[in-house]
Amino acid sequence: MLLSVLAFVWLYPVVWTLANAIKSSADIYRAPWDLPWPPALGNLSEAWSRGQLGLALANSAYVTAMSVAVVLVLSVTAAYSLTRLRPPGRAVLFIVVLAPLIIPTEVLIVPLFSLFRALGLINSLPGLALVNVVAYVSFATVILTGYFRTIPQDLIDAARIDGAGRVDVLLRIVIPLARPGILAVAILVAVLTWNDFGASLVLIQKPEAFTVQLALSRFSTFYATDQGLTFAGLAIAILPPLLLFLVLQRSFIQGLTAAAVRR
Amino acid sequence: MVRPVRSRSGTRLSLLRPSRRERAIDLLFLLPILAVLVGFLFYPLVYGIVLSLHDTRGFELTTFVGLDHYAHAIFGDAVFHQSLLNTVLFTGVAVVLLTGLGLFLAVLVADMKRGRTFFQFVFFVPFVLAPVAVGAVWKFLYAPFFGIVPTVGSALGLDTVTFAPLADPNMALWAIMAAFLWRFAGFNMVVYLAAIKGLPREYYEYGVLEGASRFQLFRRITWPLLWPQTFTLVLLTTLGTLRIFDMVWIMTAGGPSHATETVATDIYVTAFRFLQVGYAQAMAMILLVVILLLTIVEYRVLNRRAEMVSS
Repeated sequence: MLLSVLAFVWLYPVVWTLANAIKSSADIYRAPWDLPWPPALGNLSEAWSRGQLGLALANSAYVTAMSVAVVLVLSVTAAYSLTRLRPPGRAVLFIVVLAPLIIPTEVLIVPLFSLFRALGLINSLPGLALVNVVAYVSFATVILTGYFRTIPQDLIDAARIDGAGRVDVLLRIVIPLARPGILAVAILVAVLTWNDFGASLVLIQKPEAFTVQLALSRFSTFYATDQGLTFAGLAIAILPPLLLFLVLQRSFIQGLTAAAVRR
Repeated sequence: MVRPVRSRSGTRLSLLRPSRRERAIDLLFLLPILAVLVGFLFYPLVYGIVLSLHDTRGFELTTFVGLDHYAHAIFGDAVFHQSLLNTVLFTGVAVVLLTGLGLFLAVLVADMKRGRTFFQFVFFVPFVLAPVAVGAVWKFLYAPFFGIVPTVGSALGLDTVTFAPLADPNMALWAIMAAFLWRFAGFNMVVYLAAIKGLPREYYEYGVLEGASRFQLFRRITWPLLWPQTFTLVLLTTLGTLRIFDMVWIMTAGGPSHATETVATDIYVTAFRFLQVGYAQAMAMILLVVILLLTIVEYRVLNRRAEMVSS
């Protein structure tokens, strides 16, 4: 009973946002509790075109895909070397790779901006992806070392005796056996990159390169007087992650909590 | 005892003592991540230290000023004091409330016979949504006239139609806290819930036989056995909250009159609005030191407790 009340409180802001997205601004003021009927779909199409949300969604998808791909390559090879190979100075390297966990991007954003300006990476979507890679790659590596350690060493030794090289072992044994871990990392990095706001606010200035979060932040300041429009923009921005979560609930929860749940 | 015949010992030896060439090849797999971290994390960190010791014009270094920026931030900048206090206070309260709320929800959901997946979904949803969206939605929830908080208040007979928590310096930080709890409680709940499912049933059955109340069962069995999760969640919440920027920026941009200023919003405004780049970086370095200190202290305290529990 208490739980149902709490669940209602938790769900209400989301439902309210989606409902207000298809109400006219006048109705949002006049009748905050009424059902949005008939739906004012005009809000949605106007928000889509005025906010350039199509472009922003494409930009965000591009940055997210790049960030996930690069993080996966870097963290899989790093975790493989740290857990299953013997690079010289492994203990020190482990600390070097994991130290960034306690250095948030907020602390580095000023020198990063300076560096990116010198490299001509301001307003560059690959540049933005790179900042996200730096922010999450250590997290990804920690999570993957956890998964890689559960793979029996005998299996790897046997393959090596049969003449398999390091890359063969990685591609044919480690990656297939650690697939849940890799999926978890991919989802985690995708959600974190998609939701990033701070780095994009600093590094992206021209509207053609805006991500969804930047477009949305503009919405809530520029169109603050037209609530119907703003709610429509919000609804468009929260629907893709919401629907994905609805479909892939288990993988999402597993991925997003991978750093905190022990196996 | 007869050991299974395998060529195991031989390979183990060769793996134990790989040649220098072999180990160099092993190192190659780490080069990509090291290159990225050195170029875009450790180098900016070192450059950030240099930056914090200089005056700047735009983003170019001009004169070396030693620790002047640090001295000014620590002794002479009331806004920075406010932002540091807000950040640490907000983090402390968030750690306590999020841990408590997450555990409370997890215990309630664990007791359900049906619908666990549904409740897990409901409480986890806000965590998937972007902080910008969450901030904007809550800003509207608090909005006078059509926001739900004032509307519910006036329906209850309170004079809240024009009530605006985000514009009130005494309330704004805690109004953001409510949104923050809404967004993150589900995460803690899921982590606790996963652990609760793995707790040995016999402990509870024995406790019930001994006549323990539900609260006693929680106090004596659940809470101590969940200490590893509490440990992880407290550290993660601390690290995640000390850097808070996005939700604050969207909801109040640090206002009204710095009542919700955090170190991260202060850095952003100082560097990118006022172009006091060296000074902003000095504040960033102080934030990094605060993060290090608090993390180490928490780690020590929680770890000691963990050892006490296990002994």
